[in-house]
Amino acid sequence: MSAALQSPFDAAIAALSREDPAAAVPLLRQALASGEGGAYAELNLGMALTALAQFNAAVPHLRRALLALPDLPEPGVRLGVIAATRGEVAEATACYEAVLRRHPRHVPALAGLAALAERAGALEQAASLIARARAVEPEEPELDVAAARLALASDDAPQAAALAEAVLHRRPTHVATAHLLARALLRMLAPAEAQALLDQRAAAAPLSPAWALAQGFAAAELNQLERAIAAFRLADLIDPDNPDIQLEFGRLLAQQDRPDEALVALLPALAARPANLDLRNLTATLLWRRHRYAEMVAMLQEGIAEFGPHPTLNLNLALVLNAQGRQQEALEAAESAIVHAPGNIAALVNRIAVLPYHETRGTAAALAAAAADIAAALPQPALLQTTPRGPRSRFRLGLLSGGFGIHPVGWLTLAGLEALPEDRFEITAYSLRPRRDSLNTRFRARAARWRDVTDPDDAALAQQVHADGIDILIDMGGYGDTGRPFVLTHRPAALQLKWVGSQFATSGLPGVDAMLTDRWETPEGFEPHYSERLLRLPDGYVCYLPPSYAPDVSPLPALGNGHVTFGCFNNLAKLTPTVLRLWARLLREIPTARLVIRTHALSDPGTHALARQRFAAAGLPLARLELHGGCPHPEMLAGYRGIDIALDPFPYTGGLTVCEALYMGVPIVSLAGDSFAGRHALSHLSNVGLPDWATTDAETYLARAHRAAADLPALAALRASLRARVSASPLCDAPRFGANLAAALEQAWAG
Amino acid sequence: MSGQVAGAEQAIAERLMARASQLLESRRPAEALPLLERLHHLAEVPARAREARAIALLAMGRFGDAADAADDALGVLPGCGALLQIRGRARLAMGRDIEAMDDAAAAVMADSADNDAKGLLAETLMKAGKPDEAIFLAWRVAEALPQDMTAQLRLAQAFITGGRHAAADELLAALQARAPLLALPIALRAQNKLLMKDATEAERLSRTALDRGMVEVSLHSVLAHALVAQSRLAEAGPHFRAAARLAPHDAYLAHLASASAGGTPDRATDAYVASVFDGYADRFEADLLGLGYRVPGLVRLAVDRWLAETGQASIPGPVLDLGCGTGLVGVALLGLTEAGLCGVDLSRNMIAQTRAKGIYTELHQAEFSTALANLHGRYALVAAADLFCYFGELGVALASAAAKLTDAGLMMFSVELSPEASGWQLGDSGRYRHSLAYVTATVRQAGLTALSIAPETIRQNAGMPVEGLFVIARRLAC
Repeated sequence: MSAALQSPFDAAIAALSREDPAAAVPLLRQALASGEGGAYAELNLGMALTALAQFNAAVPHLRRALLALPDLPEPGVRLGVIAATRGEVAEATACYEAVLRRHPRHVPALAGLAALAERAGALEQAASLIARARAVEPEEPELDVAAARLALASDDAPQAAALAEAVLHRRPTHVATAHLLARALLRMLAPAEAQALLDQRAAAAPLSPAWALAQGFAAAELNQLERAIAAFRLADLIDPDNPDIQLEFGRLLAQQDRPDEALVALLPALAARPANLDLRNLTATLLWRRHRYAEMVAMLQEGIAEFGPHPTLNLNLALVLNAQGRQQEALEAAESAIVHAPGNIAALVNRIAVLPYHETRGTAAALAAAAADIAAALPQPALLQTTPRGPRSRFRLGLLSGGFGIHPVGWLTLAGLEALPEDRFEITAYSLRPRRDSLNTRFRARAARWRDVTDPDDAALAQQVHADGIDILIDMGGYGDTGRPFVLTHRPAALQLKWVGSQFATSGLPGVDAMLTDRWETPEGFEPHYSERLLRLPDGYVCYLPPSYAPDVSPLPALGNGHVTFGCFNNLAKLTPTVLRLWARLLREIPTARLVIRTHALSDPGTHALARQRFAAAGLPLARLELHGGCPHPEMLAGYRGIDIALDPFPYTGGLTVCEALYMGVPIVSLAGDSFAGRHALSHLSNVGLPDWATTDAETYLARAHRAAADLPALAALRASLRARVSASPLCDAPRFGANLAAALEQAWAG
Repeated sequence: MSGQVAGAEQAIAERLMARASQLLESRRPAEALPLLERLHHLAEVPARAREARAIALLAMGRFGDAADAADDALGVLPGCGALLQIRGRARLAMGRDIEAMDDAAAAVMADSADNDAKGLLAETLMKAGKPDEAIFLAWRVAEALPQDMTAQLRLAQAFITGGRHAAADELLAALQARAPLLALPIALRAQNKLLMKDATEAERLSRTALDRGMVEVSLHSVLAHALVAQSRLAEAGPHFRAAARLAPHDAYLAHLASASAGGTPDRATDAYVASVFDGYADRFEADLLGLGYRVPGLVRLAVDRWLAETGQASIPGPVLDLGCGTGLVGVALLGLTEAGLCGVDLSRNMIAQTRAKGIYTELHQAEFSTALANLHGRYALVAAADLFCYFGELGVALASAAAKLTDAGLMMFSVELSPEASGWQLGDSGRYRHSLAYVTATVRQAGLTALSIAPETIRQNAGMPVEGLFVIARRLAC
């Protein structure tokens, strides 16, 4: 019978049987409207919507079906699955148990209940439920998978391996089973033997996805990422469009920092598995890496609408809203995560990551309070036994960061570290993110030992640092993207410091003894905002390494243009409504002036459109505004050739951006606050002898910009001399910085 | 049904092949290889997959496997120029220079317009000590591919190998001007300057590049060597260490880095000695002779005197040549080793060259102490020419060598002379030097009686004589 002749209900059932719930939904709605199918239309619509992860919409239909069809187990089971997915354990248990009271041999209900028991750690109860289900349906492979999983959890690896292998023979694309087999074999055999066994299976059936998957999981468990990626790619090629394979493949590519390839695998997987929160969050973080913010917001908001205020969804939402310059909404999302998951460390860290950007709440006091909340929520780990501080002729210096490369950490620390006397400091780098670029090579050349950290466990990493005999450990990641500051709470080294790398406030952590700073970042009297001892270097707290490819400084563009061009190359996250309104006032007062805003977030069309709206709402004249997205670094630096005066945002001021603007001959008007993040620009400007460009309030900020714009000959003269001035200043004087850093570290060691 | 299965398999195989090719193009051979291995297990292995597998293995540095894979593919595609090149490259990397040259020549014959094949042939000719032919070919390729940096650098390398340093410098200067941020031309130019005895300019070039943010093992390495050449060992240390960190598997750099760090090991690592000589085997003999290497001649003179004194026509028993190198001692003793000549060296390439001479009756590629432990005979002469410059502490080495002497046997060896009054030191060149007092005492402690410890110029280095000691000793009577 052709589709045209089918009733909507029959057509919907046909769509469901070919696993196309999206096609079934409108047909079922049509059927319901015409009264066709009755309660079965409700049930099928509920099931179709569940398959599409539209839980909120599904639930009422399933409830109506449950009332109308009390003898049918399906509605109850589906409601149980939804509740389980949402983490509503009591509700899910009640649903499954209700079904089992009427249908004691109902396999999906038994399996659902077993999964809940397993999740709660009641392995015996889970095993007994699975045994009941297997007695009913001895041929159902899913039950064998559950039995294998439980066997492994109960340390019966041979039984788990045997069950898993049997399932894989019947279902070679069953991803979870391949994972189980790999884990079971690695538990039973030496790694090489386990891998050899899988290689043997693969050679015998070269085009079976099962063995490729198991090989991939085994390699991943053994941290052989390249081998694992190759195996999952193979499985993906053998069985394309399998979302479970795509998920594993994408996950590994993400781990290897290959976001574009990972997204190719994960976006279709998420379309097929919209209810998988882990997948949704992973995909969101990859969109983050590629600056696809608008898509990320939509994906997270959709998730929160369907699955509730899941903390991870909210955390990621806070980060992306902040990146779009929506600081207030970001802080609300971050605080909502804390409300829904009290004491959740990730949520507290997330809040401190967005807080310094907030125009009124990004203060030193608020940041110190937020840091104290983290410290209070942290469990107290057992401290490692460090050797007491005593005289040393040579220190073992550990550096912990994900930024050893082309990254602000690289540009602001490498030259200083290269100049640190090698006979007094032996460096071990703990690299938290794989990088391969020219700065990374220089870090590798300087470090006597290089450790690529892949173990996500802080205690294990602390143990490694301790075993390496590190005397002084410097955290250069902080509460940033790849930071691992809690390693320090295990006390792996006798002296532990905080330096560049999301250094925007106090860490609040008991394991951080001191912070490397300077007299501008944290003048005398700022101590109450810091849990760390403030170790003030004699000049600035960083040493800027100008890129060798930086283009020449151009003549002052205003002289040729006939108007002044202001510019800001900072993240949108730093552009608060107050900043935008102040700039709008400046442009009103200088009606010929233009403003160029350049940042990678503006490459994202959705974010670009949103930014234009925000800029217009703040009163900025769009006709005199030039917006540019991301571009390669040399090109970005060349962008300063068109800027006369840079405008710094606040309360989170520019750091590396200030150094770059100055090196490109462009002075920068700044407004210093009281947080560490609020005083970066002040530090760098003071370090090159331009402290008067850092102001303390909005009126002085405006006045400074006016004064600069009004005296073009003076501005041109300053521009012409600025690169030489910066290069000769302590900001770029690596030998001087290296000597100062060495002295500061030795002094801190001596106490 | 089976037709459908075969069709499905065919489709999968095509997907695997296409993706593997993509991965190879994007320089991810380790990720391409598993796909190709799967294809290799199929009943019918596509020829393209065989070739791609060899390419992947070569790119991964698995040279032996790559040569085998190329062999396998050549079985299906005999005479294929691309495969001959892969095998040639793999063989060249393994030090099988002659076979590599055969492959390269066959590849050129297969397609005389193939510049890659000609380039490879040029490289093998350089290795074979035929610089003029290498320059000719490298020149032709560089002329055909003026924009190709590899081709230009190959020509520069050929000039250097042929001793045409001015031409190399001119070419490298032009390449440096063309690509000012590329490290390799600068490093090679600095290396060339060093060979031209212009260490100051070598230092300036490499240091400027490093200061401009260029990072490359060779820049640090050449700078360190340039500093050593100016006797600025302390300044060289950080650069040897930086180079060693960037090339963690390079035993030569690791040795120099650790030697320059102050913590002097009591002998050079075997990996270091092997790598030094595997790299230099083909030039070793010419270099040593060119440098006025006198020790084999000293051995010959001493043996002649000994035979004259004892009225014998040839050495009264087998000879053991420790650290035989390319077999120069064997050449020097030609006609006097009727009872056998056994050579031991760490370097596979050295042993290969010695074997080619056809003088030695027995050859072992082994570490010194392992070889001595495995040799059960006694020798009328044990020679160690220019070996002990790789040892700081000599006691154990001398004692175990002495244990191999027949009762009337002689031990002859050279050391580089330390300017210090006692002990031994690691010199600027990474070699050890021993004092007269130390050698005298250690010979005795090793159970030997010194018949002669004579100061000798043992070789020339950069036009300067290297002073040493030539020792003749016999076993102490029990």
